Amino acid sequence: MADVALQSGTISVAEQVDRAKVLQRLRLGDAAFRHLTRAAAITVLIILGGIIVSLVHGSWPALHSFGFSFLFDETWNPVTEKFGAIAPIYGTVVTSLIAMLIAVPVGLFIALFLTELCPMWLRRPIGIAIELLAGIPSIIYGIWGLFVFAPFLQQYVQPFLISAFGNVPVLSNLFAGPPYGIGILTAGLILAIMVLPFITSISRDVFEAVPPVLKEAAYGLGCTTWEVARYVVLPFTRVGVIGGVMLGLGRALGETMAVTFVIGNAHRISGSILAPGTTISATIANEFTEAVGDLYTSSLIALGLILFVITFVVLACARLMLMRLNARLGK
Amino acid sequence: MNSVASFTVPTVTHAQKSAEGLAEKISVQSLDFFYGDNRALKNINVSLYKGHVTAFIGPSGCGKSTLLRILNRMYDLYPNQRASGQVLLDGEDILSPHQDINLLRAKVGMVFQKPTPFPMTIYENIAFGIRLYEKLPKSELDGRVQHALQRAALWNEVKDKLGANGLSLSGGQQQRLCIARTVAVRPEVILFDEPCSALDPISTAKIEELIDELKDDYTIAIVTHNMQQAARVSDFTAFMYLGELIEYGETTKIFTTPNDRRTQDYITGRFG
Repeated sequence: MADVALQSGTISVAEQVDRAKVLQRLRLGDAAFRHLTRAAAITVLIILGGIIVSLVHGSWPALHSFGFSFLFDETWNPVTEKFGAIAPIYGTVVTSLIAMLIAVPVGLFIALFLTELCPMWLRRPIGIAIELLAGIPSIIYGIWGLFVFAPFLQQYVQPFLISAFGNVPVLSNLFAGPPYGIGILTAGLILAIMVLPFITSISRDVFEAVPPVLKEAAYGLGCTTWEVARYVVLPFTRVGVIGGVMLGLGRALGETMAVTFVIGNAHRISGSILAPGTTISATIANEFTEAVGDLYTSSLIALGLILFVITFVVLACARLMLMRLNARLGK
Repeated sequence: MNSVASFTVPTVTHAQKSAEGLAEKISVQSLDFFYGDNRALKNINVSLYKGHVTAFIGPSGCGKSTLLRILNRMYDLYPNQRASGQVLLDGEDILSPHQDINLLRAKVGMVFQKPTPFPMTIYENIAFGIRLYEKLPKSELDGRVQHALQRAALWNEVKDKLGANGLSLSGGQQQRLCIARTVAVRPEVILFDEPCSALDPISTAKIEELIDELKDDYTIAIVTHNMQQAARVSDFTAFMYLGELIEYGETTKIFTTPNDRRTQDYITGRFG
């Protein structure tokens, strides 16, 4: 009887020591885990800091010799070593703008169709097509854009745009000049196709996360599908949707290969979106091999720094926009 | 006992109806419902009367909520769900393909098990539904919003924070907001699908009080798992089991002298 009680109820001294050892070992393991995760997190900061420092350091000669005029000067002359960044900045912003103007509404409509209206049997094929679109490497978009899409635009679409808007005051400037095929518009369209899957698949995922009962409640008031989408689904998912749009915009701003193929790589700003131009990343990709002078290299790195800043500003604006949206919705 | 005999409203014959002033608002006739091939409702016949509360009780999966979701054709949102038979609202068959569904849902409002405030301000939650149907000047809209919130006994708690998000309210307040939203579009019928199952007792009591006040102006149907609640708030009770309507009659009769053995077993807690 006493033996049984001992076995089941109390712990012998030897066992107690064992337990302390085990606990000690666990504590060590936990401490190691804590330090490892912290080290991993700090690595991010170190890498980011390192990139910023080397960008600033590398671009210093260019920024020092050109000053603020680097930001506003259109010249890009390797022979006289005179560089200005406004043309690539303009190209980057305008191509991304065109891409977003097309991809955001189309992407949201696709996602809404898939989640709210699409018959079941069609959902999977369209969903898979979008995933595949996202998986195509950018170089393929580049050669397709150059050899198929640009000639098509040159032959059919651009002549039509030029003749259609030729007499409309503002638009005639926007669609002026000979149809080159390649140019700002073509790059914007290719970018739109490239970012479309990001916006679509993220929006679809967040739309699917809307509780069905919330939609039923709106339908229960007599809402149409459009009203449910506009007033319930979109406000409910705005954070996720804006996240998806920003991810797409980030890709559009930084996309290099496809844009380099179809933008024409001309260092100038033209009023017409049919004219060739360049973007920051296309300039860097095209010219880093031939950049011999220190000032030339430094100017390219400065372009990289500017792209970094633009991306950062875009992200900050998105945050600000979300905060204001939340404030307006009374959260 | 044969269930077919017992669900033909034994307590209320046609002659009695006019005597007691009962006006039939919704009449469900030989209704079947299918989830794909699965027959979830079998030959349901039941009437909802104007100005009265009808409770639907029964164990989980017996088809109470399904029946409720037919009355405003919520099942239309989902493929593979279909109903056959007739559901007459003021004598017109709402199951007919010519029925304007948005109009039907404006007439037949629904309050769900979980509170479902829309992601907008308290004011907008109410005004949203009104604006779907009516273009009102601001002052009139304000009046309608206030009136709806008063009807839902929520006005005093939210009048100083109409600009706050609907989601910032407590669960009970959110549910009353949803009731206010439903009332605001001036429906004729209100369906409550277990409106209190996610709420604390005090909020539950408030909502039951509310249902009692609302029944003068609306036809009300409520699905509940809480037998005391059914006994407290309803005038008529329907007991459903495995997709069939077992017994339907005045609440006092169902809870004191039910005709069917299964009804008695259920209300005394022997199964379900």
